[in-house]
Amino acid sequence: MSFLSLSRALTRRVVRTLRLVVVGGAISYRALFNWTTPPMFIGTLLVSPLLQLLFFVFLGRQLRVADDRFYLLGNAVVSASTACVYGGTMAVANERRYGTLGAVLLSPRHRAPLWFGRALPYVLNGLLISVFTLTVATLLLGLRIPVGALPGLAAVLLAASAGCSVFGLALGALGLRFRDVFLVSNVAASVLLLLTGANVPRETLPEWMRAVGDVLPLTHAAEAARELSAGGGLDRGRLGAELATGAGYAVLAVVLLAVFERGSRRRATLDLM
Amino acid sequence: MTTMTTVPRILRLTVVGVRTHVSYMSRSPLEITFAVLVPLVYATLAVYLFRAADDPDRLLTAAVGAGLMGIWSSVLFGSGGAVQNQRWLGTLETLVSSPTPLPLVLLPITLATAVIGTYAMGATVIWGTVLFDVPLDFAHPVLFLVAVPVCVLSLGMMGLLLAATFVLLRNANALANPLDAPVWLLSGMLVPITVLPDWTRPVSWALPTTWGSRAVHAATSGGPSAGEVLAPMAVALALGLFYALIAVLVLGRVERRARAAATLSLA
Repeated sequence: MSFLSLSRALTRRVVRTLRLVVVGGAISYRALFNWTTPPMFIGTLLVSPLLQLLFFVFLGRQLRVADDRFYLLGNAVVSASTACVYGGTMAVANERRYGTLGAVLLSPRHRAPLWFGRALPYVLNGLLISVFTLTVATLLLGLRIPVGALPGLAAVLLAASAGCSVFGLALGALGLRFRDVFLVSNVAASVLLLLTGANVPRETLPEWMRAVGDVLPLTHAAEAARELSAGGGLDRGRLGAELATGAGYAVLAVVLLAVFERGSRRRATLDLM
Repeated sequence: MTTMTTVPRILRLTVVGVRTHVSYMSRSPLEITFAVLVPLVYATLAVYLFRAADDPDRLLTAAVGAGLMGIWSSVLFGSGGAVQNQRWLGTLETLVSSPTPLPLVLLPITLATAVIGTYAMGATVIWGTVLFDVPLDFAHPVLFLVAVPVCVLSLGMMGLLLAATFVLLRNANALANPLDAPVWLLSGMLVPITVLPDWTRPVSWALPTTWGSRAVHAATSGGPSAGEVLAPMAVALALGLFYALIAVLVLGRVERRARAAATLSLA
C-alpha cells in the first residue's frame, strides 16, 4: 500500500470516528437526555443551580465561614454537575431503560468513541450552565471578576465539565449492571457539594474527606477558579490535577463499560430491567 | 351519611391510606435513599460549616435543619408527582371513580411523602449524635416530638396543593427541581430568615414550612417558653389547612376537566 492510500485510509478512519463522536453524541443527547425541553432545561439546569448557589451564599453570610466569592465560584463550578453527572448517567442507563441498548451494542464500532461521544454534549452543557450561573450570580451579588481572569476561568470550567462528564459516564456504566443507577447519581451529585470544597472550606474537613475530594472531579477546578477570581492567575498545577482526575475517570468509565457489557452479554441481561 | 359517621370514616381512610402508602414507599430503595442519604450529606455539610463557624452549640440545630430539608424534598418530589405516579401505575381511574372524593384519596399519599421525609429527620439527628457527638439537649424534648408530626401534617397538606397544581402543568418537574433550595432558604430551615432581604419576608410567612420549621427549631434550641413552639405550630396547621382547602378546589376543577376531555389517563 502506498503512502498516499495509507494516508487516505487513515483520514477516512479519523473522519468516521469524529462523525461517530460528534453526530452520534448529538443524537444520543437529544434522544436520551430527559431535560432538553425548554421548561426542564431552564428550570432544572439553569434556575436550580442558581437558587442553590444563593442558598449557600446566605448560609455563608449567616455563619461567616467564608465570603460570597467563595460560594459563588465554588457553586458556579459545581453547577455543571447537574448536567454532567445525570447526563452521563442517562447517556448509558437510558439506552437500557428505553430498550435500545442491544441495538447500540450490536454495532461493530469501537466503544471508546461511541461512549465518549455521548459525554461530549454534557461537557458543553455543563460549561454553559457554569458560565450562566457565574454570570447571573456575579450580577446579582454585585461581585467583580477581573477581566484578565476570564480566559483562565473558561479553561478551568471546561476542564471541570469534562472531568465531571466522564465521572457521570463512569456512573452511567453502572446502569449496565444495576437498575436503580439514578439513586447512585443522586447521592454522587450531593457528595460533590460536600467533598469538592464547593461549600465547605476544605481545610475544615477531616483528612480522609480531603483525600476523597482530591480524586473527585471539580475539587481542583473550584480551587483554581477561586484563585483566578482573586487575581492570583491560573494555577497550572490545579488545572493539570483537574484534567488528570478527568482522565482517570475516563479510563475507569471505559473499563467499567467494557466489563459490564461483557457481563451483560454473558448473562443475556442487556435490555432487562 | 351523618357527620357523626363521616369524620371517623375520613380519619380511618386517612390513617389506612397513610399506612399503605408509607409501606409502599418504604419498599422502594430509591425513595429511601433519596429520603435518607442526601439529607445525611447536607447534615454533614451543615455540621462542618457550623463547626467552622465556631458555633458548636448549634450543631443539633444544623442536624435538625438538614432533616427538615429532607422532609421538604420528600414532599416536593413525592407529592408533586403523586397524581402522575398514580397515572403511571394505572390506578388513577380507579381512584377517581371510587365514591371517595379525590382529595381524600390523595391526602394520604401526600401525607405519606411527608412521613417518609421523617426518615431524614431521624437519620440526620442519629447521624449527628453518633458521628459528631452532637448532644441531644433539646430545649423542649416532648414538644419536639409533637412539633415534628405537626410539621409533617402541615407539609403533607401543602403537598396536596402541590399535587393539585402540578397535575395542571405538563412540565411539573421543571418547577419542582428549582423549588427545593428556595423553600429551604425562605422557610429558615438552616438559615434564619432574618438574613434574607426584607422583601422575602411575606413569602416566608405564607409558607407552612416556615412555621413548621420555626416550631421544630424552637423545640430544639429555643427559649424556655412553650409558646415559642406552640404558636408557630398552630400557624403551620392553619396554613396547611388553608392550602389543603385550595387544593380541594383545584382538584375538583382538574377532575371535572379531565373527565370531560377524557384525558384522565393521558400523561
